[in-house]
Amino acid sequence: MTTILFLVSCLLLECPFLLYAAPVDTDKADTIVFETQSELVKQSEEETPEKTLDRYEDAKIEEASTVLSSKEEDDIEAYEDVTSDEIGVVEEQGIADPFEFLNRGVFHFNDKVYFWVWKPISQGYKYVVPEGIRGIFSSFYENIKAPVRIINNLLQGKPKFAAIELGKFLINSTLGIGGLRNCAKECFGIEGRNADFGQTLGKYGVGFGFYIVLPFLGPSNPRDGVGWLVDWTLRPTTYISTDQWFDLQSVGLYVHEKVNDTSFHIGEYEILKQAAIDPYIAMRDAYVQYRTKLIER
Amino acid sequence: MKKSFRIFMLVLMMMLPIYVFGGAPFDTVKMNVGSVLEILGDPKLKGDAGRKVKEQKLEVIADKMFDYIELSKRTLGLNWNKFTQEQRKEFVDLFKMVLKDAYVDKIMAYTNERVNFTKEVSLSETTYEIQSVVVRKSGEVPIFYRAIKRENSWKVYDVIVEGVSLINNYRTQFREILGNNPPETLLETLRKKVGKRQ
Repeated sequence: MTTILFLVSCLLLECPFLLYAAPVDTDKADTIVFETQSELVKQSEEETPEKTLDRYEDAKIEEASTVLSSKEEDDIEAYEDVTSDEIGVVEEQGIADPFEFLNRGVFHFNDKVYFWVWKPISQGYKYVVPEGIRGIFSSFYENIKAPVRIINNLLQGKPKFAAIELGKFLINSTLGIGGLRNCAKECFGIEGRNADFGQTLGKYGVGFGFYIVLPFLGPSNPRDGVGWLVDWTLRPTTYISTDQWFDLQSVGLYVHEKVNDTSFHIGEYEILKQAAIDPYIAMRDAYVQYRTKLIER
Repeated sequence: MKKSFRIFMLVLMMMLPIYVFGGAPFDTVKMNVGSVLEILGDPKLKGDAGRKVKEQKLEVIADKMFDYIELSKRTLGLNWNKFTQEQRKEFVDLFKMVLKDAYVDKIMAYTNERVNFTKEVSLSETTYEIQSVVVRKSGEVPIFYRAIKRENSWKVYDVIVEGVSLINNYRTQFREILGNNPPETLLETLRKKVGKRQ
């Protein structure tokens, strides 16, 4: 019954090509229907700007009584007061930012570091190093961080993902020639699960605490700062030379990893800044949302 | 009889896609994003002139795709009620321009990325989340659209990129301003921001 009703209404309203096709010989019906349809598509493409103009033109009487009045009613209704139920808002608590003054200073510093140092280096690097090679570096650094993901997946009670990450590491280190290719994904479609220690702590119930902006490293909080340090000890690159936690080699590799990564993302920070009314708050909120989502997942 | 039956079936088959597009939130969003990609990939639109046409076409789709009033309400939260009707109207217009200025370049910069639509999740009777993934050389970016049921179609009121909701992000910023200032201050800030670009 609904189908019939629908077809009838369709016949009356929306199917000019049907009316066109109806009196024609059946043998030719296919082609003609298609022709008219493609004409319709063409027309609608060409007419789009005019159609939008049409909406601002004088209304005909019969239109005014039906279409316009309901549109106006809608408009008035649309701009009325809202209740929190309607818009699905839970009045959330703001994030603690006791060092906002200091943080804004460091944010400003990092901003300058990005535009004066980070960005030109990454742009030069992008210009010199072909995309394929940069992709290989990305895969390599991702692969070598496998211990971070395996251990944190285990700590988060996800042994299945820990096993998958281990499998990924084995495949990429062998078939992927020492992690130069993400073969696990490209050849077998294996999807892992990223995990870090800040997230692990979050899953254990450690809260956000308060917001801090670290020089060079950017947005963080005590929980994720500690997480970052713990993850640093799980990175094999930390142990390549001396017995110090931070030495020239490991930090140098980290900087290269970041420059390599940034070369794929030049322009994104600029967009965030441009889109923001207050870039500091926008960045803070994006960080809070991003970390919260990772922990909820 | 046979003839008319054949025509009937043909017509029925041609109606189906239209019916589906008008209905499910998943297909509506997917179709809109599809037409955006089509415009971006149009080889005829090149150079400065092509760019202008692209921008105009994108705006037409954006107007069809988004419900800017709903988006504004959810961004302001209950602060919406502190605005007068005129202020609300102005806010919706200004906010739309802020978003357009901010994201049109970004969208235009997209070239050969693939977009996969994965699934839709019902959030309430009238709202759905449509999940998609943009596949880029440097990795995958999950982008979720939240759409609300309107008279005869589904309109997007929030975009969530890697877990970061657009309207939540702006809400935090606006709340900061509206905390100790009247709505007029926010409007003035937005006017300045929009004016600077023009």
